[in-house]
Amino acid sequence: MEKITSPYKWGMVIDLDRCTGCGACVVACQAENNVAICGKKEIAEGRNMHWLRIERFWVGEYPAVRVRFLPVLCQHCHDAPCEPVCPVYASYHNPDGLNGQVYNRCVGTRYCGNNCPYAVRVFNFHDHEHAWPSPLDNQLSPDITVRSRGVMEKCSFCIQRIRRVKEDARAEGRMIKDGEVQPACVQTCPTEALVFGNISDPQSRVSRLSRSPRRFRLLENLGTHPSIYYLKGGGREHV
Amino acid sequence: METLGIFKDVETATRAVDRLVKAGFSEETITSLTSAPYPDGVIVKTDQRIWFHWISAAGGIFGACAGFLLAAGTAYVYPVQTGDKPIIAYFPTGIVTYELTMLFSMLGAIVGMFVEMKLPPRKERPYDPAIGDGSIGISVSVSPGDQASRAESVLKEAGALRIAREETP
Amino acid sequence: MSEPEHALAAKSAGQLNDEMLSSLRTPTWRWYGLAFFLGAVVAWGTSAFIYQMMTDLSVTGLDRPVMWGIYIANFVFWVGLSHSGTMVSAILRLSQANWRRPILRAAEAMTVFSITVAGLFPIIHLGRNWVVYYFIPYPNQRGLWPNFRSALLWDATAITTYIIGSSLFLYLGMLPDLAVVRDRATGWRKKIYAVLAMGWRGTAREWVVFRKASTLMAALIIPVAVSVHSIVAWDFAVTVIPGWHSTIFPPYFVIGAITSGVAAVITLMIIIRRVFHLEDYLTPLHFDNMGKLLLVICLLWAYAYFVEVQTTWYAHEPIEWEVWSFMAGKYTPFLILMLIGNAVLPIFALCFKKIRRSVRAMLVITVLINISMFIERYLIVVPPLSHKNMPFVWGSYSPSWVELSVTAAAFCGFTLMYVLFAKFFPMVAVTDVRELGVRHSDIRRGRTEVHTISEEE
Repeated sequence: MEKITSPYKWGMVIDLDRCTGCGACVVACQAENNVAICGKKEIAEGRNMHWLRIERFWVGEYPAVRVRFLPVLCQHCHDAPCEPVCPVYASYHNPDGLNGQVYNRCVGTRYCGNNCPYAVRVFNFHDHEHAWPSPLDNQLSPDITVRSRGVMEKCSFCIQRIRRVKEDARAEGRMIKDGEVQPACVQTCPTEALVFGNISDPQSRVSRLSRSPRRFRLLENLGTHPSIYYLKGGGREHV
Repeated sequence: METLGIFKDVETATRAVDRLVKAGFSEETITSLTSAPYPDGVIVKTDQRIWFHWISAAGGIFGACAGFLLAAGTAYVYPVQTGDKPIIAYFPTGIVTYELTMLFSMLGAIVGMFVEMKLPPRKERPYDPAIGDGSIGISVSVSPGDQASRAESVLKEAGALRIAREETP
Repeated sequence: MSEPEHALAAKSAGQLNDEMLSSLRTPTWRWYGLAFFLGAVVAWGTSAFIYQMMTDLSVTGLDRPVMWGIYIANFVFWVGLSHSGTMVSAILRLSQANWRRPILRAAEAMTVFSITVAGLFPIIHLGRNWVVYYFIPYPNQRGLWPNFRSALLWDATAITTYIIGSSLFLYLGMLPDLAVVRDRATGWRKKIYAVLAMGWRGTAREWVVFRKASTLMAALIIPVAVSVHSIVAWDFAVTVIPGWHSTIFPPYFVIGAITSGVAAVITLMIIIRRVFHLEDYLTPLHFDNMGKLLLVICLLWAYAYFVEVQTTWYAHEPIEWEVWSFMAGKYTPFLILMLIGNAVLPIFALCFKKIRRSVRAMLVITVLINISMFIERYLIVVPPLSHKNMPFVWGSYSPSWVELSVTAAAFCGFTLMYVLFAKFFPMVAVTDVRELGVRHSDIRRGRTEVHTISEEE
C-alpha cells in the first residue's frame, strides 16, 4: 500500500513582531468560510465559532503595560492528535500536509476537539444553518458548505482556494507559483504578518522565513509538528 | 427409551440405584435427575470428561481471525492517513483482535455446552415437576418392552412415588 | 460459617424454593407503584433526550473547551458499575467461596443492566446521533470503514463483547433455576420458562457439563471485564491532555470499577434482603465477607489515587500541577467528600467486624462509596478539559437540566430493569444455595458434632 505523496506541503509563518492585533484576519476568515455569526450570548456560553482567534495577553503593570497578540488557528500538525481519535475518519491527514475535516462524515463525538491541545476546533452546539436570514444568505461563499448542527469544524487553510488554484495550475500544465495561494487571513493582513506557501519548496517565501532564527512553534514539547511557524524576537519582550 | 422413577429423597433414590445395579442394569444406563447437583457418585457415577471446550477454542480462533481482519484488514483495504500513525497499527489491531477472540470463545463455550448436553432435546423426554421441589428422579435407559417393564418393577419395589415413561411414537 | 447452613438445613427443598422465589409472586400495588414511578422518570429523561436530539447540543452545558461532560462521567460510572457481577461472581466462583451463593444472581444481573445503560451514553452524547451507524463496520458504498485506531471504536467493540458475554453469563447461571421456575409455573408463563430452560432436566451429565461451563465462562469473562474498563480508561489516557495522559489510568479505572461494583452489589443485597425477606439467605456472614473484599479494594483505590497525585505533586510539571490544583480549588467540597467516602470512611470502618456485620452501617458506607465514585468520574472528565494547554481558552462547565434528567433516567432505568427482572426471574441462585444444603452434613467426631461441607478435590 503506497503512501500518496504530493509536491506541496502547505505551511504558514506568522510574524508576531508585525501583528497589530487588528483582527482583520478573523473577519476575513469568517466571511470566506461561512463561519457562523454568534453573538454575545453564545460567546458568553463559551460556544464561539471563530476558526482563527487572536489571543491577547497583557504584560506588565501600569504605566508600563504592553499587549501581546497571538493569532491561533489550526496548526495542521503533521502528527495531529485530533486525527487518530476520530472514530469515523472525519478528521484525516491529506497528502498536502493539511488536516482535513469532512463535515458530512462527522458524527459529533467531539473527541478531536478535546484532544486538540491548541483548542482550535469548534463545534456547532447551536444550529447555525439559520444564522443567515434572507437576504444575508447571499454573502455565503458557494465553494464551501454551511455546516449543520452537531458537526465539528476548524480552519482548513482555505482549502477551497487551494483547490481552485490547483485546478488552474493543472489546466495550464504547471506547478503552483509561490504566493499564488492566499488563504483569506493571509490575503487580508495589512502588515503581511501572515505568510502562506509551499514549505517543501526551499525557495518559497514561507520556507525562507521558517528558517529564521526568531522562529518557534506552539506547544512544541507535545511533538505535534505543527505546520505554522511563529516569529518573535528582535526586541525586548517575549510572548 | 427412558424409564423415570420419582423418589422423595436421596436415601430411597440411592437404594433404587443399588437395586437396579443388582438387577443387572449397568451403571452407564442409569442417571439421576435432580434440581441441585449432588457430588459425583452419591447417587450415580458419571463420566466427568467434557469436550465442549474445544468448540470454545475454535470460537476463539475464529474470533482472532475476525478481529484481525476487522482492524488490520479494513485499514489495509481502505487506508486513510491519521496523525503519524501507521495504517496498520499494532496496539489497535491487538486490542480489537483480543476482544473478538474473547467474544467468540464465550459464544463457543455456551453453544458447545448446549451441544454437549444435547439441549434443546429433539424429542420429549420423561420428566416430573416434583424434581424442581426436591424430589430425586432415577432414569434408566432401556429398550422398550421386556427390559422396560423390568426396570419399572424394580423402581416401584424400591419405593418410587410415580413412574414416568417416554411416550412411544 | 455455621449460621446460614443450620438455618437452611432445617428447611425442606420446597420451602427453600418458596422463599428464594418469593420475588416471582403476583405483583402488589406497591410494585406497580414503584414500576410506574421509575417508568415516569425514564420517560421524562427520554423526552429530555429527544428534545436535545431535535434541537441541538446547546441545551446541554457543554462548550469549548469542555466538550465532554456529565454524559461521559455517566458512561464511565456505569461501565465501572458493570464490573460488579464479573468480579464478585466470577472471582468467587473460581475461588470456590461458599458464601458467594446467594449473591451471584444479583451481581450478574447488575452487570448486564449497568453495561446496557452505559452503552446508551455514547449514543446520547453525539452531536449527530442519527448517523451513529457510521460506527458500525459493514460493507458500504461510502468507501470507508470506521477508524479502529480510535479508542472509541475499541469502546464499541469491548462493550459489545461485554454485553453479550455478561448476558450469556447471567443466562448460564440461571439455567437450572429457570428449570425450577418452569416446574412451578403454570399457563403462558410455563411455556416461556420452558423455552428459556431449553429442556433442562438436571441429569447428572448435564450438571457435570454445566459446572465446567460455568467455570470456563467465569475464567473467560474476567479478562474481558478488565479489558473493557481499561479500554474506557484509554479513551482518556491516549490523549495529550494534561491530567488525562497518565499511564495509571487503566489499572486505576479497573480498581475504581471493582470498588464501585462491589459496593453496589452490597447495596443491592441489602435492598433485596429487605424487600424479599431473604434474611435467612443473606446473613451478616455474607456482609462480613463482602465487607472484607470491599476493604481490600478501597485500600487499592486509595493507593492508586495517592500514587497519581503524589507523582503529579513531586514532578510539579506546570500544566499538570495547574490542572490538579484547579480541580482541588474549584471542586474542594466534592473532592473532600470523595476522599472521605471512598477511602477514609471505608478503610477505617470496615476494619471492624461489628460494622461489617451491621446491615445499616454497610448500607451507609456502600451508598456513600458510589456517590463518591460518581464524583470521582466527574472530577476526572471535567477539570482537565477546563484547563487545557492554552490558557486563553480555559473554560468551565456545569450540567444543564437536560443532562441531569438523562442522568436521573439512567439511574431509574437501571432500577426499573432490575425490578422487572426480579419479578420474572429468580433473584437468588436457587439451585446454588440448595447445593450447599446437599453438601452439608453434621458428622460426629470425638465428643461433638462437626458441621462440614463436602467439596471434591
